Amino acid sequence: MATRINPRFSEELKKYGAINMNACYNCGTCTAVCSLSTTDDSFPREMVRLSVLGLEDDIKTSLKPWECYYCGECTTNCPQTANPGELMMSLRRWLTAKYDWTGLSGLLYKSMSLTLFAMLLVFAGVLYFANSVNFNLEQMLHTGHIFEMVAIGTIMFVIFVPNLLRMWNFTVLKAGVKAPFKTYVTALSDLFVHMFTQKRSKDCDEDDSFRWLEHFILVLSYLSLLFTTVFLNWFGTGSILIIIFGYIVSFLIFVVTVDFVSSRMKKKKSLNKFSQPSDWFFVIWLLLMGITAFMVRLFIDLNILESNKWMYILHLTVLAQWALIIVPFGKWTHFLYRSFAMYFSKVKSMALE
Amino acid sequence: MKERIGVYICHCGGNISDYVDVEKVRQAVQDDEGVVLAKTTVFACSDSNQTDMVNDIKEHNLDGVIVSSCSPKLHLTTFRDVTERGELNKYTYVHANIREQVSWAHSDDKIGATEKAIHVVKAAIAKSRYAKPLYPNQFEAEKTIAVIGAGIAGLKAAISLSDKNSNVVLIEKENRVGGHTATWGSLFMTDERGSELIDRIYSDLSQRENVFILTGSEVISSKGSIGNFTLKIRKKPQIAGDPVETMEINVGSIVVATGFEHYSPEEGEFAFAQNEAVITLPNFKQLVDESSGKVLEYNGKKIKNIAYVYCVGSRQTEGENKYCSRYCCTSVIHTAIETKKKFKGIQNIHLNRGIRTYGKQELLYAESLQMGDLYLQFNDDTPPEIRNEGKKTVVTVKDILSAGRELEMEVDLVVLVTGMVPRKDQSIGKMLKLPKGRDKFYNEVHMKLRPVETVIDGITIAGTCQGPKNISESVNSALSAATKSFSYVSKGTLETEPIVAEVDHEVCSWCGKCAEACPFDAIEKQEVNGKEVAVINTSVCKGCGMCTPVCPVDAIDLIGYTSEEMKSMIEVLA
Repeated sequence: MATRINPRFSEELKKYGAINMNACYNCGTCTAVCSLSTTDDSFPREMVRLSVLGLEDDIKTSLKPWECYYCGECTTNCPQTANPGELMMSLRRWLTAKYDWTGLSGLLYKSMSLTLFAMLLVFAGVLYFANSVNFNLEQMLHTGHIFEMVAIGTIMFVIFVPNLLRMWNFTVLKAGVKAPFKTYVTALSDLFVHMFTQKRSKDCDEDDSFRWLEHFILVLSYLSLLFTTVFLNWFGTGSILIIIFGYIVSFLIFVVTVDFVSSRMKKKKSLNKFSQPSDWFFVIWLLLMGITAFMVRLFIDLNILESNKWMYILHLTVLAQWALIIVPFGKWTHFLYRSFAMYFSKVKSMALE
Repeated sequence: MKERIGVYICHCGGNISDYVDVEKVRQAVQDDEGVVLAKTTVFACSDSNQTDMVNDIKEHNLDGVIVSSCSPKLHLTTFRDVTERGELNKYTYVHANIREQVSWAHSDDKIGATEKAIHVVKAAIAKSRYAKPLYPNQFEAEKTIAVIGAGIAGLKAAISLSDKNSNVVLIEKENRVGGHTATWGSLFMTDERGSELIDRIYSDLSQRENVFILTGSEVISSKGSIGNFTLKIRKKPQIAGDPVETMEINVGSIVVATGFEHYSPEEGEFAFAQNEAVITLPNFKQLVDESSGKVLEYNGKKIKNIAYVYCVGSRQTEGENKYCSRYCCTSVIHTAIETKKKFKGIQNIHLNRGIRTYGKQELLYAESLQMGDLYLQFNDDTPPEIRNEGKKTVVTVKDILSAGRELEMEVDLVVLVTGMVPRKDQSIGKMLKLPKGRDKFYNEVHMKLRPVETVIDGITIAGTCQGPKNISESVNSALSAATKSFSYVSKGTLETEPIVAEVDHEVCSWCGKCAEACPFDAIEKQEVNGKEVAVINTSVCKGCGMCTPVCPVDAIDLIGYTSEEMKSMIEVLA
């Protein structure tokens, strides 16, 4: 059966950040220089071709966009400046939107004004809440803590679980892979290794160990801060160990994200050249999370938070925007999708064996 | 009779000496009658041996020279020139081929090869004894030049000739000049309109006093040869009812620039003439050029998605047109870009067999890619299929760039990118006896070294009558052909090879057999001294020798290959 092409798909993909991919004349240099591409599993040219022709179903069933760690070699060597690296990035954004059953991811990726509006709405909500408890610090801290726990649970079960099931459906079931349950269990180790270490990116030719280390520290620090604030109640605890640990991890988040933001501003590497709003929001809000959490705890320790409640309201705003917009519908999801892609890919290859 | 002959026997590196014992050959011929010098040489054609030969001729006072080496096709002229440098008449030189005809042919039999080589050289010596000095024929040449066809090539050839102060007669069958170019809108690379380009050239040309433009005119017969052609021309009446005018002109050379025709697809070829949405490139170009408004319409239907099927009528695997038409890739990409710029919502889909936008034209391909045109590539054995789904047209193709996957698309228009074919009317070629290549376009003598000359002396070819070309290539060849034609006649006198047939009028009594055998129409019946005899037109005769064996009374001889010379060779071989 012939597959119908959709030449207008490239216009849609451009809204997700794709640049100039139509210039591709199929020389395959990108695939040749890519150190992650193999004979059996080759990209990015194939993904460029599918995108140019608008074969959406094929893209949706493909895990390849997640197999790329954007070293930028393809873009640097492309004779047509068709920017395959940024195309792979855009496909990851597009896929994120496709996996999301609410459809909100797509709307927010494509519209900057809608994102800003949502951010302002959350800010207004925080102010409304603070006002409703008469700016009582105790109550605000307490509700803030509860909010974090509720948000994590809700997002996990309402958004992430269904979205991951959708991803599984697209990339494994619809791709016609039949794997026994045992395979899923055996492959699980891959899921966690990739989730926490980005192991595969070490195979890139342009191996940037420093960046890998930064990313590794950021992942661990972020997860630690999440754990410290939610489960160890950092803002309420009296344990000196927990307090110091919280200071360290929030500081580390701040340091790494400052470097990330500045490299996006300097645009020296190709992966930093074409930042989309979703990229900016992600790193900046992570930075703000680190700094505001650090400051709130500092204000508590200096005993000046009571007279500077705005600091906590600021932190709560950043937190709420992060938890309600960026985590469920923004770039945060790459943490899950990328590692699950590695997992599904392992399952697929095991099933084929 | 030559009495002081020098013989050189070449090793040709080892090409000859590996199979022929050249020293034995030398010894076998060194004492032949008239031979005063016999040498072997590793490479007879080398500069050092050529210098030695010139010195030998003077030192030993030679009156005949023979080189036994490769085919005369390769080095006959080389050694004729050496002979001339030694101040001998170059036609006294005799060549013996002991490579293609001996060493290569008998590499399995060294003794036999050596024996044959000895015979071949001895035969050459026998011929050499009778070889006479010959001198080129000279005659006066008409300086006017005819250009047949007033397309872009013919027009530019006429201007170029006019610039050289040559009188030009420009003959065009149609009632207007400009050929295909005049019918085209925007042209690729320059974005000028074809009609404007022609207007500009024509207004320049029509002001020139040495150019005579005959439109609505056909050449109906041609007589004569280089330097003196007589063309009979029929001019269609300008007003109906007027008598047909015929005239004769004398010209020294002819530039043929009769152009091409667009390939016309067969009914059903890619659904042509069956599906309304299928049109050819020339028709599409006209449609785009003549349409206005925001949306392109064809047959009252709005056009958005357009599929271009490349190489229709060119590079055929089954049909006759094996060649690439060179201009179509660039032309269709240019038109696709124009269409996208001019109308709203156009999506171009190019179904090609590899894009050949060579040279600067590559910029158009790049532009089209940047504009979002889609390129799918198919193999010649799986051409795109066009079918109807209700009122919709669907094109299916196996895309090489997608690992041969079968893809389909719904389109509003299918443009068949048709190439160039030779003119159906081949009367000019037949009349002037121009040879055609396998592609049925007129053929040049040598693709690289004599690219605008034909084997008919005095006739050059320009533009697309020779094969597919774009405008710049046509103009290039036109300027080249004009210069070549001019160079034939510019001196006012012409020289031709002296090796031609010669009739002994004492013996000849005109039977016409020689004229029948002549492939070049070089023999005519004429009255000489009150007697009908065969007369050779020495400017047309090529010296092929077809006439000599058919003469029942042995009245014809070929100068340079006389019966006397040939018989002496046969005697030696027998």
